[in-house]
Amino acid sequence: MSLSTWWRRLWLFIHRDRARRELEDEMQLHRDLRARELERASVPSADAAVIAKRRFGHEPTHVAESQSSWGFHHSDEVTADVRYAIRRMRTRPWYAAAVMLMMGLGIGATTAMFSAIDSVMLRALPLGEPNRLVMLPSVEVPFASGPGQPVDQKPTLELPAIQGMPELFSSAASFAAGRLNLSDVQRPLRIRVGVVTDGFFHTLGVSAAVGRTFVHDDGIPGAPPVVILSDAFWRRQYGAKDILGQRILIDDRSHQVIGIMNPGFSFPEESDLWIPMSTPNTPVTFAAFGGYVPSRTVARLAPNVDLESANRRLLDRWQQALSSAEIPAIMREGMNRLLMQLKSRGAVRPLQASLAGTQPRALLALSGAAALLLVIAFANAAILLVSEALTRTREAAMRVALGASRGRILRQMLTESMVLSVGGAAIGIVMTPLLLGALRPMLPSDLAGIADPRLDWRVLSFASALGLAMGIVIGLWPAHSATRTDPADVLKSGAVSSGRRGSARGRRALITVELALTLVLLIGSGLMFRTLASLLNVEPGIQTANTAMLEIPFTSTTPRAARIARIGAILDRLRHSAGILSAAATSDFPLGGGGTALLLGPTPGGDAPPPPMRGARYTRVSPGYFETLGIRLRGEDFTISDDSIAPPRVIISEALARRWFPGVDPIGRQLMSAGGKTPFTVIGVAADVHTDGLDAEIEPQIYQSAFRAAPRSFALIARGNVHPGALLNALRDAVHAVDSTQAVDRARMMGRVVHDSIASRRANALLITAFAIVAVILAALGVYAVVAHSVMQRRKELGIRVALGATNGNLLMMTSREIVTVVMTAVSLGLFAAWFAGSLLKSLVYGVSVHDPATFIIGPAALALVAMTAAFVPLLRALRVNLREVIQSQ
Amino acid sequence: MATHEPIPQGTLDLLVLQTLRQQPGLHGFEIAQAIARRSGDVLRVEEGSLYPSLQRMMVQGWIRGKWGRTTENRRARYYTLTADGERQFARELDSYRRVTTAIAGILKPA
Repeated sequence: MSLSTWWRRLWLFIHRDRARRELEDEMQLHRDLRARELERASVPSADAAVIAKRRFGHEPTHVAESQSSWGFHHSDEVTADVRYAIRRMRTRPWYAAAVMLMMGLGIGATTAMFSAIDSVMLRALPLGEPNRLVMLPSVEVPFASGPGQPVDQKPTLELPAIQGMPELFSSAASFAAGRLNLSDVQRPLRIRVGVVTDGFFHTLGVSAAVGRTFVHDDGIPGAPPVVILSDAFWRRQYGAKDILGQRILIDDRSHQVIGIMNPGFSFPEESDLWIPMSTPNTPVTFAAFGGYVPSRTVARLAPNVDLESANRRLLDRWQQALSSAEIPAIMREGMNRLLMQLKSRGAVRPLQASLAGTQPRALLALSGAAALLLVIAFANAAILLVSEALTRTREAAMRVALGASRGRILRQMLTESMVLSVGGAAIGIVMTPLLLGALRPMLPSDLAGIADPRLDWRVLSFASALGLAMGIVIGLWPAHSATRTDPADVLKSGAVSSGRRGSARGRRALITVELALTLVLLIGSGLMFRTLASLLNVEPGIQTANTAMLEIPFTSTTPRAARIARIGAILDRLRHSAGILSAAATSDFPLGGGGTALLLGPTPGGDAPPPPMRGARYTRVSPGYFETLGIRLRGEDFTISDDSIAPPRVIISEALARRWFPGVDPIGRQLMSAGGKTPFTVIGVAADVHTDGLDAEIEPQIYQSAFRAAPRSFALIARGNVHPGALLNALRDAVHAVDSTQAVDRARMMGRVVHDSIASRRANALLITAFAIVAVILAALGVYAVVAHSVMQRRKELGIRVALGATNGNLLMMTSREIVTVVMTAVSLGLFAAWFAGSLLKSLVYGVSVHDPATFIIGPAALALVAMTAAFVPLLRALRVNLREVIQSQ
Repeated sequence: MATHEPIPQGTLDLLVLQTLRQQPGLHGFEIAQAIARRSGDVLRVEEGSLYPSLQRMMVQGWIRGKWGRTTENRRARYYTLTADGERQFARELDSYRRVTTAIAGILKPA
């Protein structure tokens, strides 16, 4: 049919009411003219009208027939088809539900995964020209010990140096993220704060909705404190009322609100508000945070500079900066390592990729799994649809015999599969947000606040269109073949179905592919689960049972002596609470990440030059810390008298002991910190503890008494023999008994801390396992459908064999041969594919080989078992049927 | 009055096309009249069935309808043959001739 015909049909379809009116006018004219003609031949006018009408024939028939050439036409017929389809579905709800669910699952999983990938990797960040933005690792803000003090000289590139390279970067800014107390509301509220240099908003290409962003003067050390609010925080906290120019208390310090950002911007780390970071930076900025907060630097590439050349030219500058003469030998090693790192990973990295980190790998693997699931689900839906359509050949033949037009039947069957597809798409739409929720722990936290995943309508429409297309193809193919066969043949044969050889082969191929892909998913999920299991088996180095913690962020106005006194008082009170066995405070808790490092080396002695100093994680703990967390300690613990005037004593971890004191007892020996004057004396050796995560390498650690160097924020940890709720309450009560206004943060059980530290891995394993389980269920359904159908078709043959004396065993052998072949083929294909897919997962597994023998044996075995079980249900049922009856009935 | 024979199926299109070839710009009633007249009133369309045929041929693009006014100032659709219609007529006429020749051959007394 030509294109212009389609256009005319479309036009007629759209204007069908008008076309119908015109046609009726035309017909009326015809009858009037005929009547006139008859009157002219002297027929009485009353008779003339009647005769004219009779000669014209039945008008509605002619109208209807005309309309049938208008193409897709009468919505009435379409409505009738849809109604019929729904009625049919209601008679067999399980079939309809199964098909729709399968499609919905495939569509939902694919859409959710792609939406996540899109938000993390593909969609442009909501910033001005985001692809011109780069991160500059190791570029820091210069530091001075106070306003007006000289800037520390460091052999490195710092922010002003970057800002002085307009040929490379048109602007640059540094930023850090931390948490502070907002203290002018009823209860102290913990807020997320972005600490940014004045060019931050300008560099990112975002602007304030109200007021202004930071200017140069805001970034001068000692400038009056100002704050910019995020749109979301302004609405949540201040009900979107006019607050510009007013003052709010952040960490007991009054800040003037100078601006409110546009909606949708809350970077870094979902900042509620931003305060300026001065250049040079001074301890004043970070006083509130209880110490230095690491900053990062973002820059905008100058026009006509590409990433490649910017990287090359910046590396040259790094080389110059680091090879300058005045670097103390002690730092040389660290500098060289930094340069190596910058060379291998890039001194200039695209912002988005840099923020996304390594998470995209896990997301991509999971999307692969979702895509497999889509194929499996659709293959399965196809099997069901085809089987169903084939069994309806007889119905179609009957209707053709009764005079239904083939086109009409085609259309009607098509409508049925399309209704199913639309239902499937609807389920997919509902499922997508749920799956996105489950994916959340896997999304990079650096992107939270600017690249939150949202339902991707393009993918959803694509996946739904795919489902619809499948519905159409599958609806057309059997319906077409059904109506092409001679109805008499079908009706005479009396066969329940007329699945032909070709379609049986097609279904076998579908089920083989489906089983093979299911095996790939199953093995992938097995590997992820083994990874999770080996992570759970990793000894965190601490006892988590019956142990709870919370964080106490002191305000910057709390002097050091008061902090020490309060911590002491809180611990005292806690130790005397009912059911508390042990309590302690620490600057950083295990698996909490973050923390600070101290450059250390052994005390110089003898003639040999001292080995270069190396960093160790620096944790300040109260007495009783090791006992509370069950960390094995050899030697002495700190005591209350390890304060700032006592000679410095330290406890080191086993890893640190191995580094500096191999083969000797470190207790009683000494270590020097970089720039330190008094050596530390080692009084104890503690077992190693995972600090960054269960899958991260153990870091050497050095502990010092919290009463000697009191940190700004503490974690309070207590172990008790009461239930978790009581334990957490005891912690809170102890803090508030000492200071009722003290904010506490993130109170939780230590088990939870361990749990949270592997949340991303867990989400990954759970999702892929959910996909695999669904795939296995689908595969089982598919096998069942295929076998049931094939047995149904062979009923007659089987009946004859029974009549000829075949035993049940013979029959079972015969009928199962086909499915056994299918399963074997599928398992080999699946193993083959999984073996190769495994290498893609290398970076995602932990503590297990990507070709883990157990997974590669159990996976196929489990799948084969499920498939054969699904196959034997219809096989055995077929045997139970009295086959003689079948024969007699034919 | 002559006996009315029903028009053989499928020939109606051919007749309409032929009529419009010779007299472009007729409305439905005029086409029906023309066919009846030219067949010596032997073939008479069940008049209404002319309209589905016209609609189908319009959708196919063989004829074009244009609204105009009759001499009595009533709205009527006037049909003309298109180039496509001309070709279609040739095809249908050809197949019609082959069929009738074949039938005539069978019916010819031996």
